[in-house]
Parts: sequence; C-alpha cells; structure tokens
Amino acid sequence: MSYEIVFKTEADMPLLPMSLGSTLYNKTGSWRYVRPIYRDKTSPCNHACPAGEDIVTYLAMVTEGQYEQARQTILQENPFPGVCGRVCAHPCESECNRAQLGGAIAIHSMERFLADLPAPRALPRLEQRDVPDARVAVIGSGPAGLSCAYQLVRSGYEVTVFEALPAVGGMLRVGIPSYRLPRDVLNAEIEGIVSLGIEIRTGMRFGEDLGFEDLTDYRAVFLAVGQQRSLRLNVPGEDASGVTPGVQFLRQVNLGQEITVGPTVAVIGGGNTAMDAARSALRLGASDVAVLYRRSRHEMPAIPDEVEEAEQEGIRLEFLTAPVEVLTENGRVRGLRCVRMRLGAPDESGRRRPEVIPGSDYTVDVDMVIPALGQEADLSFLGDRGQVERGRIAINEAGVMSRSPSGADRSPQGVFAGGDAATGFGTVAHAIGSGKRAALAIDRYLRGQALEGFPPLTAHLRVAPRDVDPTVVRFEDINLAYFAEEPRTVQRQRPAAERIKGFGEVNLGYSEGDALKEAERCFSCGVCNQCDTCWLFCPDVCIHRLDSGAPSAAPGRQAYEVDYDYCKGCGVCAEECPRAAIVMEEELKWRK
Amino acid sequence: MEKVIMGNHAVSYGVQLARAQVIAAYPITPQTQIVEILSEFCADGRLDAKFIKVESEHSVMAAVVGASMAGARAFTATSSHGLALMHEVLHWAAGGRLPIVMANVNRAMGPGWNVWTEQTDSLAQRDTGWMQFYCETNQEALDTVIQAFKIAEAVLLPVMIVLDAFVLSHTMEPVDIPDQAVVDGFLPLYEPEFKLDPGDPHAFYGLVTPDHYMELRYKMHQAMRDAVQATQRIGAQFGDVFGRPYDVVEKYRIEDADIVLVTSGSITSTARVVVDAWRANGHKVGLLKMRLFRPFPFEAVREALAGTRKVAVIDRNISQGHGGIFAAEVKSALYGASQQPVLFPFIIGLGGRDVTPESIHSILNHTQSHDMPAEESIWMEVKK
Repeated sequence: MSYEIVFKTEADMPLLPMSLGSTLYNKTGSWRYVRPIYRDKTSPCNHACPAGEDIVTYLAMVTEGQYEQARQTILQENPFPGVCGRVCAHPCESECNRAQLGGAIAIHSMERFLADLPAPRALPRLEQRDVPDARVAVIGSGPAGLSCAYQLVRSGYEVTVFEALPAVGGMLRVGIPSYRLPRDVLNAEIEGIVSLGIEIRTGMRFGEDLGFEDLTDYRAVFLAVGQQRSLRLNVPGEDASGVTPGVQFLRQVNLGQEITVGPTVAVIGGGNTAMDAARSALRLGASDVAVLYRRSRHEMPAIPDEVEEAEQEGIRLEFLTAPVEVLTENGRVRGLRCVRMRLGAPDESGRRRPEVIPGSDYTVDVDMVIPALGQEADLSFLGDRGQVERGRIAINEAGVMSRSPSGADRSPQGVFAGGDAATGFGTVAHAIGSGKRAALAIDRYLRGQALEGFPPLTAHLRVAPRDVDPTVVRFEDINLAYFAEEPRTVQRQRPAAERIKGFGEVNLGYSEGDALKEAERCFSCGVCNQCDTCWLFCPDVCIHRLDSGAPSAAPGRQAYEVDYDYCKGCGVCAEECPRAAIVMEEELKWRK
Repeated sequence: MEKVIMGNHAVSYGVQLARAQVIAAYPITPQTQIVEILSEFCADGRLDAKFIKVESEHSVMAAVVGASMAGARAFTATSSHGLALMHEVLHWAAGGRLPIVMANVNRAMGPGWNVWTEQTDSLAQRDTGWMQFYCETNQEALDTVIQAFKIAEAVLLPVMIVLDAFVLSHTMEPVDIPDQAVVDGFLPLYEPEFKLDPGDPHAFYGLVTPDHYMELRYKMHQAMRDAVQATQRIGAQFGDVFGRPYDVVEKYRIEDADIVLVTSGSITSTARVVVDAWRANGHKVGLLKMRLFRPFPFEAVREALAGTRKVAVIDRNISQGHGGIFAAEVKSALYGASQQPVLFPFIIGLGGRDVTPESIHSILNHTQSHDMPAEESIWMEVKK
C-alpha cells in the first residue's frame, strides 16, 4: 500500500516531517530476506567423546550449581564417571576450543568432581518400557561389557555377565593401578551398575568354562573379552626369569599377588601400560626404573599427564632405543642389549617410523624387564563362528559379529561384539561407547527391527540424543570479544616424594570452587546458554526472552523467541552471539 | 535562597528547577561540572531524571533528541570540540522541532590546544536552527535556563545557552536560587503535541521531497521570527514573577550616546565599569549588550543604535576571512537604516586572553580618535 499526500499550503502541514496516520499497519519484518534461527550446533568436546557424553550441557549445569543434574546427564550415557574422570585419555580436551585461550577446559577433572559428590548416587533408570521377554549374555565384565549390560538392564532386559577372572571390572580392575583409580571408586561404580539387577557369574572363561552352546537361553550375546595378551618382544632371552609382560605384571599387582621387583627395572614401550608398569614397579620398591621407547616423546601414545607424573616420580625416559637381546645369567635376566634408533618417514599411523642406527649397540644392566608393547586378544574361542580381522573380531557398524564364510550358522542367538577385542581403540571411553552401541543394537535386534543407520564405529552414539546441528563449532566461530584468556584450573596432586611410597591416589580432584571456576571458562561452543547478548543487541527490540521458569541449562531448551513481524534480518544477533548458536537462514519468499 | 556558586553550577540549579527529565552528557572541560553535579542530583533523587552516559557528544545529542522525541524535557551541556562533534545532530534537533536546552561553555577551538574562553565554537553553529543566548553573569545563566525551556517549548526550537569559560563557568558569584514551587508555576510540565509513543506509532523524519521540504524550512523561519517576541514576552513574565526582567538586548546609558559599545557575555560587565568612567568624565558613551544572538533581534538593534555616531563592536571570536561575527551581524542589521553610524569592528581576547578595563579604554580611545576604522577588522593587543 502506498499513499501520496500533497499539502496545498504550509499551514496544512505538520511542523515536522512525520506521518499523520498510524504506522501500526507496517510490520517491518517484511523487509527481511534472511532470518535468525536459534540452532544449537555440536561442541567439539561432545563430538570427540567416545563415550558419547553431553559434556557442554553438564558444564553449563555446573555453572548453575546443578551438580546432581549434571551427574545424571553423564550417567545417561556412561555409568563410569568416577573411572573416566580419573583414567580417560580425554580426547574431548584435545578438541576443546578453550585450548587456544588459556588452556582446554579440564573436563576430566569436572567429571571426577561430579562423580565424587558426596550425595548418594542414584543411577538413572530409563522409563520402564515394554521390552521383549529376552535374556542377554555379556561375555566380559570390563568397561564395554558393563556399559552394555547397564544400558540393557536400564531398559528392562534380563542380563547375565560372564567373567573369566574371580573379580569384576576387567582391565579397570586388573590393568589400572590403584594410585590412578582407587579400588573403592571402582567398586562403588560397579556395585551401582550390578545393583540394577544384573546377574554376575565370575570364574567363567569363555571358550573353556563356557561356550556358545551353553548360551541357548540367551537371545543375544555380546562378546567383550578385551585384549589380555601382551605382544612379545621377539628377541632372544625373552623367556628368561625376570621378564614379565606388562599386562601380566599389572594383573599380579592389582590382584595383590606377591611380586619381587628390581632393584633395576626396564620397561619397554611408550603407552599407558608402560607408564602404569613403571610407576607400579617404583612403588613396589624398585630403586631405578627406566622406560625405553623406540620413538621420541612426541610419538608416545601414553597420556601426557601420566608421562609427566612418571618423570616427577623419578622414572627415566630413554627415547630412540630398542632392545635386541635380553642378556641372561643362569636363566635370569642380567641386562639388555639395545640399539639406538632414529626416525624415518611416517608410517600408516602417521607417526615417523623408527629405524635402527647400524652399529649403535650398547648394553645396560637390569634385574627385571617388563615388555609393554601393546596387547592382543585371545580369540581361540571363536573357532569358525566369526571372522577375525587384524587380530580382532570383525563387526559391522551395529556391532554384529561377521560370520565366518566357512562356518555354518549354528548360533540361535544374535552375536554382537565390541570393546578392544573388536574395535582395538584401546581406551576405556571407547569401550564404554562400544558397549552402549551394542546395547542400542541389541534392543533393536530383539524387537525385530532392522540394524541399519548406525554411524561409523569411530563416531559415538547417545542414549539421550539432542536435536542439534551436526556442524562442529571451531575456534574461529567463537566471538572472542566476549572471552578473556584465563588459565586452566589444575587439580591438586600429592607431592611425588610422598606418593611413590604407596598406591594411594595421586590426584586429589577439584574443590567446588575449582569446579565452578573451570565450568565458567567454558565457551559453550554452539550451545545457547542464555547469555542475553542477542537480546541486548537486537536493534529492533524484536528478540524476546522466554521465561519458562525451567532450569536454564535444560538441554535443548529454547530461551528466546524472535518476533519475525519486526525482525529486519540484520544479523547482529548471529554476528554477536559469542558461541555461534544462531544461524541466518535465507527466506526465499519469491519462490512462494 | 541566595548561594555563592560557580556559573557551571548556576546552570545545574537552573536545570534542576526546570525539572529536566533526561540528561545525556559526555565530559569536556570547562563544562564537566554542570553535568557532574546534575548526575549527583539524579543519583540522590534531588532530580527525578534519567542520566545517560554515552561515548561521544554526537551520541549525547542523539540521546537527547530521542528523549525529546519521546516527550521528555531534555538537557545537555558541552563545549568547543564537543559542540563541533554534535554538529550533524544539532541540525536534526532543530529540523525535528525539538525543544532541547543545551548549555555551551565558550572555549576556543584547537589547534593550538586551548581550554580558555572564546565564542567561535558556538557562533560556528549559528546556522543549525538553534536559538542562542549569551549570558553575562551566573545569575543570568540560571535564569536563562528556566526561560529557555519555556521559550523552546513555546516555539518548538532548541535553545543553546552560552557562558564564558572560567570567567563565568568557574567563578563564584552570589546567585539567587528561586523556590521550586514558583518555578513550577512559571514553567509547567512539557506536553508535546507529537511524540514517540509505542501505543500510537507514527513515522518520524522520513524522506521529504522538494514538494514539501521548503515549506518545512519556512515554518522554522517563522518559528525563529516568533521566537524574538516569545523571548521578550517570557523575559518580561520572568521579571514579573522573579523580579529580574530580561529582553533580547540590554541598553545601558545609551540615550544621547555618541559612541555605543556592543558587547556579549562577561565582557559586558567589564565594559559597564568603563562606560561609567567615561560618562563621569563627560563623554557620551553607552553600551548595547547582545543577549539573544539567534534569532538575531534586528529591530531591537536598529532601534538601539539609531542616532548614534559611532558603534564599537567587541568580538571575542573570529570568522577567518571575514572578521568578528557580532560586527558582521550588527552591520547587516544597520544596512539601509537612516543615519547609519560608523561601525568599528574590534577583535580581542581570543583563546581566553584577558579583556581588562584598559582594553575597553583602548577600544573607546581608538573609536573616538578615528573617523573611520583603519582596517576591516581591528585586532587589539596583538604582539606585533
């Protein structure tokens, strides 16, 4: 609509240029061709977490003091926050955008803080659903097996877990020393899971005490047997007395068996098992512990914090060296002959391949050698039922075991596999994610639904997914005008001299103040945390707060509403948003 | 109630008594004290007004424009470079017919950097459509603030009240502060005919084509013309209520004078003393004080200077390439008058240099001893 008004004389005119009629008819949103939409994106921490935790949400809950809600948010996806808060390699922190402005958020410390809250823990049970009357067998009580059992039992299935060892927990119990993961923490988390109604049968080694044919009462089986065998050094003298493979050594330590160490110990390898073995040997009385690694510090697969703590405790790291012979005397270790290495071209893992420097042989005197080069699974129980690929059980994206082409399909059950025995990812968080994936797949299998549409094994899955844009927010997307450089809050530790006297916990965790301070540092990448910046900046005053009274960190809650009758699509809200939680969407009105 | 206060605070008390509702400001020497004490009044409740801090004078004027559009009685104060930065929005305030009142403390423009008094800053804004009053004393500053709101709201034009840096702004004088109740009776609350109102929205200040633009400017011109009478009417009314009448100009011992000094601002007080001295010696000397500069009071100036032989205009300002601005304006008023006096244009006291009784004596001596001015502009006390 348009008007043309012509005044005959100046006396008819108003004093100032203004419309004499009301402008209420003119809803100026019609000038817009793009519009702002509140759309949460994916934070890099959430994207990186192999266990599929909703980290950005629980950090927001901590900023508001809603600790129990934050803990429940973790427990939806992962029944082991106390374990993961201590031993996870935290790939979430490697991806954290805060890394470039004062250091990554110490997510593992936050998780531990929440897990250690003194309030009694109530594991969140899913709303009781109508599930098929079916029993599921889980083979292995490590993190993959228990994660799977936990999610299934929460849904209402009957689950039995079979464990070869006399104690439950798998590598959590027999692989990780108690100075990193105290037994009471582990026991509490396992008891919490088991108390949901899981039947546990220990001392049942699959392939020896138990076979597929004994599981006919179970409509699905989840194989999560882990990797229990240490890789061999493949050098002369390896079988001498005083050479103890890392996994075996740690199992003895962790089960409280009598061991004599040292006094001079050489640990071979650069991973977490090597660090755990070295630090355990030190605590058992070894006077000189060296870690020999054939590559350099940069290529070490161990968690950098673990390496640093080992060095603080006096463990020597020797890089670019590899044993070529275990020297023996009367069948006992007396030393190592080693060669110096140098780094060549990168191999398929992307790390530079170590090469022997000819003629660089040297010998060292040691009393004990602990090879910790990695582990493999003992899959002899499979027979011809399943396929083995690169030493691991072959599975598809739903975790379904690939049947051997030669083996007849004799199993009445659906057979699923996961954890290190199938994926080889080698971390607790991956194992937990893998167990959850299997639980989700088994649930669908037992309902007769198709097992399609699962993401790649490298991606995580959620029990309680949020509807968010899969785009991962990067540092460049953050509006740095809103954030100052603030240092990461480091948890307290016992001094090295004190902690090597025993197996008491090294890290002391966060105070509440530490946790609040650290949570406040979070950018909340891509996730609206109701900072009101858009609301304040909108030049048309057309953004309105929706005050529902609900806790503001409730996942997926929309906090603002745009009045599109007046929004001009200027984009100031999206441009200013500190955390890229608003997108501008083109409105193709002319196509209507 | 009488108080001994600075010129800046005289302005502040005037604003308080006028019950301004919105004050926006950005600090600048020598004005800052005006809004400093007003901010305290706002904070402690002595004045029920919204005080808006902004990041520049341009935004200051934008803020008071917005406040005035919404129907609030709005005030600000500035000086020199601050005023210059407002320039664009000064036009907006006038064209928008907004009765804003602003105090400008005269300060020289840089460079050279200078905080002392000179009128060039305010006179450079003479074509923006703002009324301008030049004050002689602290009392006049207070009284003019109160009158300014009443005049501005009567003719719907913004008003600038001008006072000299330091000579008035920072100098203590006894000032009578009227009773609030009496001021309330003189100056009722502002009730605009049009204002920004979310309940009754109108479009303001949009495009005006050549079909109508000229008429809008003609209406401003009429308002300016009416403002002379409004100033006289309201000045007289102020005299009735408060005992201190005001006019657009003030004539001092001007009857039968052969030489009339034309002054503005605080130089007037100095010139009064010198006029009295020359009168005492039998010289027929008088004084015309210019109070209202915009609109220019042509009739009052012509009437005052009719029959005088010589007029000496004292300008503490300079329009480079022309001369003293008051001189040029007085000259234009006299054009075509019968018995035109000879006009002697003096430039003096730039950048805050003191203008003393001796300075005025020199000006009168020069005027008396010459038939015609020796130069287009006579620069006094320049170190040559």
